[in-house]
Amino acid sequence: MHLEYHRPKTIDEAVALLAREEPFTVPLAGGAFLNAQSRPPAIPQEDVAVVDLQDLGLGGIKPRGNFIDIGATASLQDVVESDLPKALREAAHIETTYTRRVLQTVAGTLVAADGISPFATAMMAIDARLTLAPNDEVLLLGELYPFRWEHLRGKLITKITVPANAKFALETVAPSPLSRPLVVVAVAQWPSGRTRIVLGGWGEAPHLAMDGPEPTGAEQASRNAAYEAADYRASAEYRREVAVVLVRRALAALE
Amino acid sequence: MEITLNVNGKQHTVEVSANTSLLDALRKLGYTSVKRGCNDGTCGACTVLLDGKPVYSCSVLAAQATGHQIQTVDSLGGQKTGWDFTLDLHPLQEAFVEVGAVQCGFCTPAMLLTAKHLLDKNPNPTEQEVRDALSGVICRCTGYEKPVKAVLLAAARMRGDEEKAHQFAAEVMPEINPVPQVEKYHHVGKPERKVDALKLVQGKPAFAEDFDMPGMLIAKVLRSPVAHARIKRIDVSKAKALPGVHAVLTWKDIPRVPYSTAGQSDPIPGPLDTFSLDNKVRFVGDRVAFVAAETEEIAEKALELIEVEYEELPVIIDPEDALKEGAPIIHDEPEYVNFGESDPKRNIAARIRIDIGDVEKGFAEADYIFEGEYEVPRAHQAYTEPHVTITYWDENDRLVVRTSTQVPFHTRRQLAPVLNLPIKKIRVVKPRIGGGFGGKQEVLIEDVAAHLTIATGRPVKYVYTDEEEFIAGRPRHHMKIRLKTGVKKDGTITANEMYALSDTGAYGGHALTVVGNTGHKAMALYVGDGEYRKHPNIRFYADTVYTNTVPTGAYRGYGATQGFFAVERHMEKIARALGMDSIEFRLKNAIREGEYHPFSLAWNEGREPAPETIETNALEEVVKRAKEAVNWDAKYGNPEWHKVPGKPHLRRGIGVAMLMQGTAIAKLDMGGAFIKMNEDGSFNMMVGAADLGTGSDTVLAQMAAEVLGVPLEDIIVTSGDTDFTPFDKGAYASSTTYVSGAAATKAAEQVAERIRIRAAAMLNARGDGEEVSPDDIVLADRKATAPDGRFVTLREIGFNSIHHENQEQIMGAASFMAPASPPPFAIQIAEVTADVETGEFWVDTLTTVADAGVVINPITASGQVEGGVNQGLGYGTTEDMPYTEDGQPLVRSFKDYHVPLAPEMPRLKTIFVETFEPTHPFGVKSVAEYPLNGVAPAVANAVYDALGASVDIGPVTPEKVWRASKEKK
Repeated sequence: MHLEYHRPKTIDEAVALLAREEPFTVPLAGGAFLNAQSRPPAIPQEDVAVVDLQDLGLGGIKPRGNFIDIGATASLQDVVESDLPKALREAAHIETTYTRRVLQTVAGTLVAADGISPFATAMMAIDARLTLAPNDEVLLLGELYPFRWEHLRGKLITKITVPANAKFALETVAPSPLSRPLVVVAVAQWPSGRTRIVLGGWGEAPHLAMDGPEPTGAEQASRNAAYEAADYRASAEYRREVAVVLVRRALAALE
Repeated sequence: MEITLNVNGKQHTVEVSANTSLLDALRKLGYTSVKRGCNDGTCGACTVLLDGKPVYSCSVLAAQATGHQIQTVDSLGGQKTGWDFTLDLHPLQEAFVEVGAVQCGFCTPAMLLTAKHLLDKNPNPTEQEVRDALSGVICRCTGYEKPVKAVLLAAARMRGDEEKAHQFAAEVMPEINPVPQVEKYHHVGKPERKVDALKLVQGKPAFAEDFDMPGMLIAKVLRSPVAHARIKRIDVSKAKALPGVHAVLTWKDIPRVPYSTAGQSDPIPGPLDTFSLDNKVRFVGDRVAFVAAETEEIAEKALELIEVEYEELPVIIDPEDALKEGAPIIHDEPEYVNFGESDPKRNIAARIRIDIGDVEKGFAEADYIFEGEYEVPRAHQAYTEPHVTITYWDENDRLVVRTSTQVPFHTRRQLAPVLNLPIKKIRVVKPRIGGGFGGKQEVLIEDVAAHLTIATGRPVKYVYTDEEEFIAGRPRHHMKIRLKTGVKKDGTITANEMYALSDTGAYGGHALTVVGNTGHKAMALYVGDGEYRKHPNIRFYADTVYTNTVPTGAYRGYGATQGFFAVERHMEKIARALGMDSIEFRLKNAIREGEYHPFSLAWNEGREPAPETIETNALEEVVKRAKEAVNWDAKYGNPEWHKVPGKPHLRRGIGVAMLMQGTAIAKLDMGGAFIKMNEDGSFNMMVGAADLGTGSDTVLAQMAAEVLGVPLEDIIVTSGDTDFTPFDKGAYASSTTYVSGAAATKAAEQVAERIRIRAAAMLNARGDGEEVSPDDIVLADRKATAPDGRFVTLREIGFNSIHHENQEQIMGAASFMAPASPPPFAIQIAEVTADVETGEFWVDTLTTVADAGVVINPITASGQVEGGVNQGLGYGTTEDMPYTEDGQPLVRSFKDYHVPLAPEMPRLKTIFVETFEPTHPFGVKSVAEYPLNGVAPAVANAVYDALGASVDIGPVTPEKVWRASKEKK
């Protein structure tokens, strides 16, 4: 339930509202998660005041040197229709249905994500960086997940930055093309050879399998990352074995 | 706070809270075209355009929408002024009507708005782009085939590309092998537009919740958080004291009447084991207390204030545990009323033991015995309109129940004792229904609102939440099935045995009849060949048991779905083991025309068996057309076809399922129709039948129009109101076109006879030709015409009969009881591409070829097939409702329950091979259920063909395929 609704005109105004001790105040982007009857577990379940970000001009997707800045309130459909790497666009595309992609913002999707989210898995693999107001603090997406609201309380994600020079690939296995995947493998590789592999498909957040100077040991790392990956949708054994297959395919498909 | 919303160009000032959704604000403003479906941002029924982009209005705050242009479907088309609201449709609306893209119509406004957004952005979209755009709107009726074609058609027309438009319009038509009788018809067999499509594309207030009354209270139900417990203490004092609360009811406050929620004819063929409220809860989601309050927020707050102390009891989740010695007893109430062999002390809700022929002798004569175990999951109907009931006292102190039901007359009869009211004091009104598929063949929520209206004297509205639909709806029964089949070397089946263990959940509605149909349909198809045809050996035993899970009920296919998964997987394995073509093996053993339905002498839904002969069966032609359609002979058994060039980890597979169903319940199902003629030559037709989106109002009108010689627009259909229409048992058992259609035809024939008599008299009175006999008058083109060409118009006859001479109301009333249950026959073929390494697979094509008798309306009939295939695909691949060991449901909303979306549908092909069923005036058999039943086994068989992975537990998931592949190795 929402106790208050605010629509600030400036980021400072928004941050001031978010910094209040009482009531617990959170940013409202599209509303796909916060306004839902059943909020995802990562979203506060209690009554909150909401700060609508629509007047803050936080949308848009812009290249900046070797990086691309994605505005916090850019929608997933904006990502699908952008010039971002193909695998990232694909991750946004299979994240959810068209109407939800119009509604869901990039920041909202990342904050609300569980471990099944292809988009969060992909963004974590590509080592997305969140810029937080008020002080332009930078937080890696992978650092956000263990302590989401400890990091975010009183702060506002203004943009998400991803590298423009990394190769990237995404592989999934799902019961149907748009159903929530059972296994997601996202692989990013930088010109230096640095290789980052993240697995998704289960749990509360995507799982970092490896981040090393080269892909050696990727298959074993992926098997290890899926060691306790059981839930009612699939067994850990299955996820382990399939993750290895998908990692192999993703490494071969890097572009 | 007060905000201003710009809706369809009009400014509205409205008082909202910070929490008010745009959906609630719009509906409060009267925009009921915006439908409340899941109310949780998944089903898409509430879609509106915000600055031209589609959004779920349930997931957007009203306050968020200020400063934006909001568009609802009311704004499409031209100005709607004056009396005729059918003018000026938008090309999208026109196309949806034209190609039959509207079935229940609940999602139609959302589809139209989303499509408008797409075409505004991209006037020439590909089919894939249309499917992607529609991915956020769940349609459970159409399989998306016709909505997608409608969007492409509208786009082509808007671009002025008539050639493409013509192509898309033609693509929605199924292929039909007609019978000669159809050639003479003017309306039967024609793709007439649905009589209710216009109001639905315009989003008019047709559904149960699109109705408001002053002083209406909102009902909410407190539901059990535990799976099995006694209520030791319940204290509602704080809830009652909350301002705005008008009633709080517990089991102590209402009559303790055992009943069944299954909407079926009297006597209910199952145990009476349910109370409106009880002092025991039997599943997570069971009812604990009812609240009526002035707003939803107050009602929800009141639920939080009710204090309940539970004494928890041991829980049964696995149906096999229910039968074990010493198992907890779920129904220990003394009021329990047995039916047949139900035995609550052993958790048995129903039991069947049928032996046909000499099964053991058949096994002894076999060269091989094949045994197998199969399991099928619980599955939800996933209609997008939730259950909705509004109750109120009318000016005559009669209780009016406006409810989203498939069974208005059963609801009236079954509610009466529960409410302690005589039947005559209750009127049940079925408005437009937003899909049901069996899930609304249930007296599920009407008693809640009614008890609260009785307690408060006020109108009460009760709408199921998305969570209630999933934890306390009535999904399909989970079953475990064992099969044993004796076969000779030449492929002749000598004996067939099935044991089905059916999980009815906490209550036993449909406990007997669903599982009965598992055997009655699926085990009747294969009688064996040669001498075995005359004396088939079939054994069907079943136990339906209670568990502490959601009660199950009716769902399209009604037990046959479960049975055919097992039987068709089993037959596939036998055919392959014998080295026979899968289809030829099935056809060799399948029942044929002129043979007895083997179960008709043994079982009839808990009533007296009625011997039946198969009068029509075109399976041979069905098989021929199906094999041609999919190029079966070039694919089946061809190693080259199974390879995917350039992708060594992929394999193609092809799989088949053969099917039979029934048409109504023989010697029981009855429906009535009443037709009266108006001055202008139009007719009012009142039928008790319940059109839940299937198009039954349309096909009934087509049959009446055929007899009366008028266009469909001259038949005004009113259906499903217990005060104003004759009895009809309701929309289930694939009966409406057959039973209600025959009633409508008979009533029309009575009217036609009166018209002919009057027409002859009028012509003879003119004295300008030879004397004409009524028997020689032909009704066509709104005229009654004599053999010499003289005629009087129906308008002249209407005025003459009502106002001018020998005044009479020309009318007819008739009813029809199903004399038989003629089975439709079908074959479904799936083609898949499967991944050798991961077990993932995609379904590429699904082909359905059926003998469904005469097809009254090719568009609505093929729409039924396409919708059924969508549900079958979900059943086969993604849909399941698992529980934890302590009885907590793991699926609690549409978000957790993935149904096939528009981009996920394979290429569909539908072919009808007609026969003329002699027990019906227009030769019809049923069309609605078999399309669901064969998809899951056909897909499983195709995966088996692709990878050799034999998956016998549904749904067929990548992990099961992967495991089965490993086992094969």
